[in-house]
Amino acid sequence: MTNTNEFINHLASKLGRPTPTETPPPVEISVPQYRLSNTEERASIFLQNWQALGGKGAIVKSENDMLQCLKEWFGDLPITWFKDNPQALIAWDMLPSIAESAFSTLNWPLTRYTQSSLDPRDRYSIAAHAELGITGSDLGIALSGTIVMNSDPLRGRVVSLLPPRHLAFIETTKIRNNLFEVLEEISALGTPPAAIEMISGPSRTSDIEMDLSIGVHGPIEVYVVVIDN
Amino acid sequence: MTMFNLTTDQRVDKALANNFLRQATRRATDRLRNNKYKASDELGNWEEWRNAGETIRKHVIANLDFYLHQLIEQMEQRGVHVHLAKTPADAVGIVRNIVREHDAKNVLKSKSMISEEIHLNHALEEDGAAVVETDLGEYIIQIAGEPPSHIIVPAMHKTRQQVADLFEPIAGHALSSDTPTLTRFARIQMREQFLRGDIGITGCNFAVANTGSIVMVTNEGNGRMVSTLPRVQITLMGMERIVPSFRELDIMLNLLARSATGQRLSSYTTILTPPKKSADSDGPEEYHLVILDHNRSEILGDKLFRTALNCIRCGACFNVCPVYRQLGGHAYGSVYSGPIGSVITPLLEKDWKKWGHLPYFSSLCGACTEGCPVRIPLHDLLVKLRMRKTQSGHTPQVEQQIFKAYRYLFTREKTLRRALRLGAHLQRPFVRNHRITGGPPPLSNWTKSRTLPMVAPKPFMQIWADLNNKR
Ligand code: SF4
Repeated sequence: MTNTNEFINHLASKLGRPTPTETPPPVEISVPQYRLSNTEERASIFLQNWQALGGKGAIVKSENDMLQCLKEWFGDLPITWFKDNPQALIAWDMLPSIAESAFSTLNWPLTRYTQSSLDPRDRYSIAAHAELGITGSDLGIALSGTIVMNSDPLRGRVVSLLPPRHLAFIETTKIRNNLFEVLEEISALGTPPAAIEMISGPSRTSDIEMDLSIGVHGPIEVYVVVIDN
Repeated sequence: MTMFNLTTDQRVDKALANNFLRQATRRATDRLRNNKYKASDELGNWEEWRNAGETIRKHVIANLDFYLHQLIEQMEQRGVHVHLAKTPADAVGIVRNIVREHDAKNVLKSKSMISEEIHLNHALEEDGAAVVETDLGEYIIQIAGEPPSHIIVPAMHKTRQQVADLFEPIAGHALSSDTPTLTRFARIQMREQFLRGDIGITGCNFAVANTGSIVMVTNEGNGRMVSTLPRVQITLMGMERIVPSFRELDIMLNLLARSATGQRLSSYTTILTPPKKSADSDGPEEYHLVILDHNRSEILGDKLFRTALNCIRCGACFNVCPVYRQLGGHAYGSVYSGPIGSVITPLLEKDWKKWGHLPYFSSLCGACTEGCPVRIPLHDLLVKLRMRKTQSGHTPQVEQQIFKAYRYLFTREKTLRRALRLGAHLQRPFVRNHRITGGPPPLSNWTKSRTLPMVAPKPFMQIWADLNNKR
């Protein structure tokens, strides 16, 4: 094993100068970035791009819209799943309030992931056996149809990963034009969270004869409800 | 690995005789290339993005010592174990020790070219750990015992039937060869493994120096699994894989996703800033970062080739290279194939005997340079490598003699004329339709698959003299 100073000094000698002591002045970057004019447009382009990737999605304006949309997508399945597996619907501790109340109206019982077990191995296994993982989102990207989620003690990274279906909620005001804006906003917060997950559509692969297959490791079906409040 | 035991000529002959391989390679590279065109055209100002990419990469490499130091400091402050490896053997040793220390039986891997470069799997398996490649393409070639044939689509050379044949003994029953069935089989098979993994080993697409973050992109989601479920995580990174901050990361992620597969962003882009906070419910508790030199510092110190370190491993140069498109990746014999593989392999491995053929796997058409999102002058570097190889005296005897003869003749006018007359005479038995179509070795190496223009019956110098006389 090599020590850090030795390693770095070796590079400096290859570069033919001592290692700078101050951060080098950042390079100038000027690329015209993708921009839309308002929140509404961003929401609709976001949705369009999400759907183009193979995700399902809808914009809802009220709790009623929300109920309808969830019923249309899942019907009575959650009740059926629940009969076989009381932990079939696994969710973050906190979801947008309009979503919380929709779930209680529908009487779909949610298991809160972080409280599902004390042992992480058990929690992973519970999430792996669940039918639907339910999360919020911190930000979205219109240009690429992407949802962005920061890790947090009340959440759980695997809720959007292990179940075969993932349902996410996002408020229209959280949708940004492009990746640059998202990264700028996250870096303004200081030290980033342990994990920032950016998800654009379902899990996919073209590894066999370049034939696109959906759902090799991550969720096979992905749903997003855009909340226009 | 049989491919590695063949000579270059044997590998090339084998590739040329394999019609499926050639068709599949062409089809896949066409697809990837066209997707890239769509994704880059869509931006409307691709050249400006390329400029930005090139500027950022050059800046990082010119200040690599500073940024690497910053990254290491950030990581160590937060309790990440950073290991610096001078050589592949060092890197393997480091990983081996971690695996042993934890008495890990199940090692999960997501795609990492560094692990291929250092031939990691073999070493871990020798120690008795089960190593599972979780990227579908990598999984396929792991079972087949082959190296990747493309940097983005490692099992490009396999038919679905071949994949089914590889999976069947594991499944213990017959599998139909449609891709959904094969994908589902891999999903189910891998699920159990994911939950059993003791250690996760991942690659690293970018490391962000000022935050100490590791960025990983995958489409399958296996990268997320491997970096979330096991209790211990090891990330392998080539030391040049750095961006200064999130600001530059935006440009690089756009260039990477669009150039590699034509996506705006890969399905999963994960930014890890390890280790997990103590209250976080998920994520590895122990995090190791292994940073590999393996002669990258030599390249850094070599002004002629420094730009080779700018590569972001997008594979775009593979997809436009006429040589790669004819041969696929295995003919190169190296872990990194395609144009960038031909450039970096001789520099990393420092073995002209073994890798001296690579700079010649190019028609020098420049398509690679044109396609590269960070504007590495690849074809130029290939010419310079040929020069290096010649200077180091590693060209074949015959070639050296031919060039000596060339110099001898072209610096002596009379002798040259005599030689040309002799050539015009000697070529006669081999000329068909004004082309030389045969001949003794070493000429036959060329003429067995191509023809040469014949030596003109009347040399140009004679024609010129005649013209002057007439005037
Ligand atoms: S050399 Fe350029 S085109 Fe080739 S893989 Fe590297 S970044 Fe991509």
